[in-house]
Amino acid sequence: MKCKRCRRAEAVVDLPSHHAAFCPDCFFVFFRRQVTEGIRKLRLLAPEDRVLVCVSGGKDSLVLWDVLMDEGYETEGLYIDLGIDGYSDRSKGKVLAYAASRGKTPIVVELAKEGIPIPEAARCVRMQECAICGTVKRYFFNRVASEGKFTVVATGHNLDDETARLLGNLLHWQRDHLARQHPLLPGAGEGLVRKVKPLWRVSEVETASYGFLKGIDYVTEECPMSADATSLVYKEALSRIEDRMPGTRIVFYQGFLDPSNPLRKAPDAEEDVGTPPACASCGAPTFTETCSFCRLKERVRKARSLRAGRVAG
Amino acid sequence: MIRLRFPQKKKELELPGPRRVMDLLAEAGVRPTTVIVTQGKKLLTKDQRVEDGATIDVLSVVSGG
Repeated sequence: MKCKRCRRAEAVVDLPSHHAAFCPDCFFVFFRRQVTEGIRKLRLLAPEDRVLVCVSGGKDSLVLWDVLMDEGYETEGLYIDLGIDGYSDRSKGKVLAYAASRGKTPIVVELAKEGIPIPEAARCVRMQECAICGTVKRYFFNRVASEGKFTVVATGHNLDDETARLLGNLLHWQRDHLARQHPLLPGAGEGLVRKVKPLWRVSEVETASYGFLKGIDYVTEECPMSADATSLVYKEALSRIEDRMPGTRIVFYQGFLDPSNPLRKAPDAEEDVGTPPACASCGAPTFTETCSFCRLKERVRKARSLRAGRVAG
Repeated sequence: MIRLRFPQKKKELELPGPRRVMDLLAEAGVRPTTVIVTQGKKLLTKDQRVEDGATIDVLSVVSGG
């Protein structure tokens, strides 16, 4: 199969959803255009932004960092060590190696040192690891961005992630979540930093292909905590549909983002809520007295001391 | 035979060749939109013919959580 763009070289990536196939060089052009168009259309980033890129060692976040650097954005990487035996060391190794190859040193937050490693915290409070992980990551994304004077936080969520989330929100009629689901989550006042998902137009196959062709050495194993994640069920359903009807996913998501869609509110239409009040415990912005991270940490602390008491008794 | 390796599952499969990637995936029960297929440093399209005796890697691209 020949590349549909240059019509000379052999194609190595076929994308039925775009009725296209590309050689490596043309795929790089296509992929970067998809990302930059996604940024431009939704005004996710401005040239003067300082971008904190959250990197896990997986394909999506490393590819995102790679593209943003190549596009000339001022970026730094943030890696959160979740404290998962073996997996966290391997994924951190990939992040450090990639960063070094680009002359960068990522910011590293170690949850074990913060007193809240994910597996132990989940056991203590008897919650799903993924739910805890989300709360903890969001807290540190914002804290590191805010303290480091970054203007925006970027994550590697792709089209598959966003459509899986959309399907889940629709199936459960999560109206609040639907209203807010968007690749741009506006900041608020001085404490809450804007969050963006610049890969919203590209699929997992596309980011994996880009990473492979660019020689980015990413962690291919899945997080051992995510085996039961409900998002995987929605992804499987959507991939079955995509196999039979290529292009459905992007139509589904772009239709949802259409400003005329009454289910959701455009980010620029949201009221400016000003600087949210500070958490009574840590000072982070929150709309409750104590932020969800501090409440979680307190529950973990209590469970730990209860367990220590039982052992001592 | 063609050797299909699934590194993330630490699994291998042998199927008769030569055959196209999409036919190998269908027989292995793998949906094409969930993987990329590589042969050494080469990325293969789904209609690429794989010769008998070759080894290919089938890498899942699905991330959870």
